[in-house]
Amino acid sequence: MARMKFLCDADRCIECNACVTACKNEHEVPWGINRRRVVTLNDGKPGERSVSMACMHCTDAPCAAVCPVNCFYTTADAVVLHSKDICIGCGYCFYACPFGAPQYPRVGNFGSRGKMDKCTYCSGGPEPDLSVAEYEKYGSNRLAEGKLPLCAEMCSTKALLAGDGEMIAEIYKQRVIKRGYGSGAWGWKTAYRETVAL
Amino acid sequence: MRRSVTLLSTLVVASTLLAAPAAFEPVQAQNPMTQDGQNPMGAKPTADSVNEEFLFKNADKITGRISIPDRKAANLIQPQGREYQSFREHYLPWIGAAFILGMIAALGAFFLWRGRILTEHSQESGRKILRFNTFERFTHWMTAVCFIILSLSGLNYIFGKRLLMPLIGPEAFGALAQWAKYSHVYLAWPFMFGVVMMFVVWIKDNIPNRLDWAWIKAGGGFIGKKHPHAARFNAGQKGVFWMVAGFGVAMSVTGLMMLFPFALLDINGMQVMQVIHSLIGIAFIAGILAHIYIGTLGMKGAYDAMGSGKVDLAWARAHHDLWVEQEQAKTASGPQLSGRHPAAAE
Amino acid sequence: MKAFILAVIAAIGLGVVAMYALTSNQKFAYQAFATSGARVSEPGTNLVGEKWNGDPRTNDTSESAHGKATGEPSHPKRS
Repeated sequence: MARMKFLCDADRCIECNACVTACKNEHEVPWGINRRRVVTLNDGKPGERSVSMACMHCTDAPCAAVCPVNCFYTTADAVVLHSKDICIGCGYCFYACPFGAPQYPRVGNFGSRGKMDKCTYCSGGPEPDLSVAEYEKYGSNRLAEGKLPLCAEMCSTKALLAGDGEMIAEIYKQRVIKRGYGSGAWGWKTAYRETVAL
Repeated sequence: MRRSVTLLSTLVVASTLLAAPAAFEPVQAQNPMTQDGQNPMGAKPTADSVNEEFLFKNADKITGRISIPDRKAANLIQPQGREYQSFREHYLPWIGAAFILGMIAALGAFFLWRGRILTEHSQESGRKILRFNTFERFTHWMTAVCFIILSLSGLNYIFGKRLLMPLIGPEAFGALAQWAKYSHVYLAWPFMFGVVMMFVVWIKDNIPNRLDWAWIKAGGGFIGKKHPHAARFNAGQKGVFWMVAGFGVAMSVTGLMMLFPFALLDINGMQVMQVIHSLIGIAFIAGILAHIYIGTLGMKGAYDAMGSGKVDLAWARAHHDLWVEQEQAKTASGPQLSGRHPAAAE
Repeated sequence: MKAFILAVIAAIGLGVVAMYALTSNQKFAYQAFATSGARVSEPGTNLVGEKWNGDPRTNDTSESAHGKATGEPSHPKRS
């Protein structure tokens, strides 16, 4: 099986936020919850770069490790998913997540924060693939249909790459060789404890 | 007239000087260097672009601008999450197990060595003296009940998935953990209230003084048979009082920070609060285990103080001789039971 | 024993009071993290809503709460 990863080529990202909108629409994500977001670094200064960030589906995922109810699991494609039936909304996964991926329907931690929601790599949850229950809780399951995450699929500049880690790293490496520069695979060191050798 | 001409000519010269560089710019732009064939602009656009390594040299996390009103979403990468993961999963369970099981083992060993501490029979046995009035007992038990539920639901955050989840299955454990979480965040409020009330009620009897030092040097009556002098509370009880006050404040402050996440702190602050809350919580539980032991199994007659409020006079004479004298001095007719404020033992 | 029972009742009572006080102050993510921009649907309804039947063609938006904005309109849109 493939080892699914995200890679955002910051030298191509134009901060159009189409990935954010695509994600929201594809999964009917409620207001105020951002499974994916675009962060602009050095905003307004020379060398400004934007990075589209969601759950990176880490190796040895910190969220899964710190979860007090073990609601996370890793699929055969190395996608980190969770069960909203078991989640208690404690918020520890947000403290552990290096990328700020977990989201909660309610602010504050008074006991009824709601079930955590995060990027599913467009592959649903523990319910049967493509079932109504799965769609209601986690959104659509494109991976089960043989498609990649919509955010990366519809990225207009092909800055956001999704797919098998080795393949997208190779694509990125070719780009860097061709154009002569690259600001690196953002977050890979923290998420996968390896980076794309340039 | 001449002055206006001078002014006008100055303006013309000035505007020419300002406009001149701008006029040449399009010419430069239309004539780019094209020697590398790849990039007609010549300059590499990445020359001064940010990269991860450089940003991590300047700060320990990467933060940018975000277009959504969620302030904490502006953090792009915070590798401290990995450190938090390492503490919570690799150190905390061992620290917790060592402290709590260590305390239980130590208490068991003490029980086997010393046995139950009994009170020698005297002519005062059988007579009762009021030690804690209803309000004091109410405050104590409200805090105690909350503490027991808080500590069990708190330990559930660390050990539940390791011990309980394999036994009852993930769905049942998820529901149980949800209720444990509700109880943890809501019973925290009566607990905080109770700690404040106990502090106010008992502070005047818990100021450390020279008697406490003598009590500690004498081994507190644990070692040997002679009981050192003690007023209403001995040094050990004062220790429990100040532990509850100190740890109670620390748990309340860190707990409130976690109940109102990101109200005052950023992500790293939240991690630190969680670490402090868990470590002090474990020490608190270990300390209270010793308190429970000596108040029930460890010493005969001690439980009555919080149970019915009335203790055997012989027990009180042995353990709190100075307090008994004060109480009896106040009510000349001997041990009082109808007194409304036995706490007032100044 | 009386003090103990009173203590348990007080603890539960204060806990319930704390629950009502806190949850009534709790904000939804769609309130806390939303701007005064256009709203095209009921905020906060998770994913597809309750009346979704899995078939996008027969999705009757006039019946369900999802798909139509209710309540006070926010600030008028600037062109």
